[in-house]
Amino acid sequence: MSTPMRDQVNPANSGNSSGPSLSNLRAYVSGRTNVLTFLVLAALLAGLTKGASLSIDSLTNLALAESVRALASLGVGIIIITRGIDLSVGAVVCLVGSVAGSFAQNADYGAALYPGVEFGWWAPIAAGLLTGVAFGLVNGLLVAAARIPPFIATLGTMSVAYGCQLIYTRANVVGSLKDSYKEIAQGAVLGVPNLALFALAAAAVVWYMLGHTRQGANIYAIGGNPTAARVSGINVKKEIVLVYTFAGFLYGMAGLLLASRLGLANALTGRGMELDAIAAVTIGGVSQSGGIGTVGGMLIGVLTLGIINYGMTFLGIDSYFQLVIKGLIIIVAVYFDMKKYARGE
Amino acid sequence: METPFVLEMRGITKRFPGVLALDDVSLKLRPGKVHALMGENGAGKSTLMKCLFGIHHPDHGEVVFKGGPRRFDNPRQALDAGLSMIHQELANVPERTVKSNIWLGREPTLGPAGLRRLDHRRMSRDTAALMRRLGLDIDPETRLGGLSISQQQACEIAKAVALDASVVVMDEPTSSITDKEAEQLFRIIREITARGVAVVYISHKMHEIFRIADEISVMRDGRMIATHDAAVLDEDKLIRLMVGRASSQRFPPLESLPGEVRMRVTGLTSPQAHSFRKVSLELRRGEILGIGGLIGARRTEFVEALFGLRPVASGQVEIDGQRIKPGSSQRAIAHRMGLVTEDRRHSGIFPQLSITMNTAMPSLGRYVNRLGALLHGKVRAEASRLNQQLRTKTSSMETAIGTLSGGNQQKVLIARWLMTDPDILILDEPTRGIDVGAKFEIYAIMAALAAQGKSIIMVSSEMPELIAMSHRVMVLCEGRHTGTVSRAEATQSEIMRLATQYL
Repeated sequence: MSTPMRDQVNPANSGNSSGPSLSNLRAYVSGRTNVLTFLVLAALLAGLTKGASLSIDSLTNLALAESVRALASLGVGIIIITRGIDLSVGAVVCLVGSVAGSFAQNADYGAALYPGVEFGWWAPIAAGLLTGVAFGLVNGLLVAAARIPPFIATLGTMSVAYGCQLIYTRANVVGSLKDSYKEIAQGAVLGVPNLALFALAAAAVVWYMLGHTRQGANIYAIGGNPTAARVSGINVKKEIVLVYTFAGFLYGMAGLLLASRLGLANALTGRGMELDAIAAVTIGGVSQSGGIGTVGGMLIGVLTLGIINYGMTFLGIDSYFQLVIKGLIIIVAVYFDMKKYARGE
Repeated sequence: METPFVLEMRGITKRFPGVLALDDVSLKLRPGKVHALMGENGAGKSTLMKCLFGIHHPDHGEVVFKGGPRRFDNPRQALDAGLSMIHQELANVPERTVKSNIWLGREPTLGPAGLRRLDHRRMSRDTAALMRRLGLDIDPETRLGGLSISQQQACEIAKAVALDASVVVMDEPTSSITDKEAEQLFRIIREITARGVAVVYISHKMHEIFRIADEISVMRDGRMIATHDAAVLDEDKLIRLMVGRASSQRFPPLESLPGEVRMRVTGLTSPQAHSFRKVSLELRRGEILGIGGLIGARRTEFVEALFGLRPVASGQVEIDGQRIKPGSSQRAIAHRMGLVTEDRRHSGIFPQLSITMNTAMPSLGRYVNRLGALLHGKVRAEASRLNQQLRTKTSSMETAIGTLSGGNQQKVLIARWLMTDPDILILDEPTRGIDVGAKFEIYAIMAALAAQGKSIIMVSSEMPELIAMSHRVMVLCEGRHTGTVSRAEATQSEIMRLATQYL
């Protein structure tokens, strides 16, 4: 994956005092720390599990488990590149799951939200994506037009989305989903799970956008220096609204696929995903100070975090401890990110 | 050894990469006297003061304070020793009360060790006494941010007095206050000099200097030109000392002849009270129009408004007879304007992005195919061609711009706008922070662009550059247009006269 923006990953300040070959090596390593971390962890896990984690089954499981997270992470990733943040991911995914699910319940199911109503196959997809896009658009407008700091704006919409989910479902489980709907995520093409295909397709689109379109160049420019972006004739507000809205679309995909995979949706579906998504892209080298990040990095971040989760479960680490460890991982990843790209004063 | 001076700076030399910022500068301050420090922007006044306060460390020279050599590593040490600086931008906590600000960092406390609490009563009492002594009518309990700028400034001075400072440096203290408030300030200055405090007063405002200063020192190009008693100088003599002789050989010839009028600006006025007002200009094909003035003359605000980055309350801009709606940089670019801003780091470069992307950003719209994909090959080729033409020094077009020198960054930013093929290019302080060799190259680029028929507006605080590189120089003072001089009539003293007209 070679995009023109990739070179930004090489910080020129890596070891200018040492010899050329050593500093080249250091630049090479520091530009690819996320890949190396991933490989080391994967090897470690393979060793610890005596190869069991390398079986087709467990790889498929990993891909399935991480695909939904990948979609959410791609959305948060492009937002962070613009110097933003989105805490509403998990809540929006949760709400989308319930909204989409409610249009995909078997008509004869007594506890359905719309009992006796038969919706077309497209209804849950349209409803889910629209919900995601609507929340993304609101986030974008709050950040760009109302100038509310992204952290606070999305903290607010997070609560709104969780609340809406409970109101909409009257705190009930959205169950008895149609087989045709479950098939969206659970099916496979030539042995490759649909879920992974969707995630890869979305990654390809984001990769293309970031590296090969004007929108992508604008996103990096805004993250790198918003004032200079304005001077360069970029409509910064519009671009930011578009980025949040597009991220909302990705959360929409994540939510409806998650409900389809689980076969149900409730108040816990997707909960806490903001933590996973932000952790993943940070591990993947998306800088919190903006302007830096690649799709390849984001995906590796998602897989790395997946391996860590999987490994912890495999090693029998209590899920409560897993939360603690995940939080620490975010902090450490951001610490190294800040050291690397600290804006010198 | 007894001297009549409270503070002496001797032979201070400071070299920055590519520039000798201070060259063997000496300054002597007498207690109880106001010492004005004068010079053009960039003459080295602020650098000298920063060397005194330990913000910069001089390469040579020494500071003798109260009879002994001293060296301050940071402003805090200087403050503890009795040197205080009143900044252009006040450094305080506007949300807290006057009292808290005056005692900030050294609040008196009460009670046994481990249970110490702030002694609010003493802070209030001492602050009130201090205000009385200085004849100030300021309640110690009011929120500092609620006071006017001049009252806040008075509080800063009061703080210096509370700290028992023996030297107070004021950097352009009247730049943002009214004449009446300035009177109040002068009264306070007299009050503290009567107590033996030495004041260093940095200002461009001639009439103030002659009212308040006892001694005047003039700096130019990093050197101390002269120190005189204020009584033996007048405005003319002072201006001559400040601007010196014109320097030649630093500029390429400007040979293009301006053609017909391309842009006409009439009565452009900012919605903000203290910004530009009723500024008009005409800009011709192949012309370089210089805009001169002192810092605070609102030149940057004006050109940024021309480019659509700032709102406009009234007035109009016409290009080739067509009226341009203000308020959008996209529109300005569509009308073939370009702007190289004054602050490269803040509003120019995308530090992590490659030279290619930094050059191409505003032009990308012209390099997409029908499917919206960027034509990377063409973008790189064109960006590379322009940077070669401007002789940007870099190992690769993929190098992050943040790693280049200031001069090379500036060339990339000029290349950025050349790539949009503009008719009108606005350059705001185009050679700020650039070494002498790169300056000459940028002048040569400007002359070549004018010869191609491009129109250039150049905002500059450097007099020689303004005079040598402009067909005409228009001068702003306090946001108003005070006059335009042709190349033939442009002299440093004439420009300085226009630049200080309303001060």
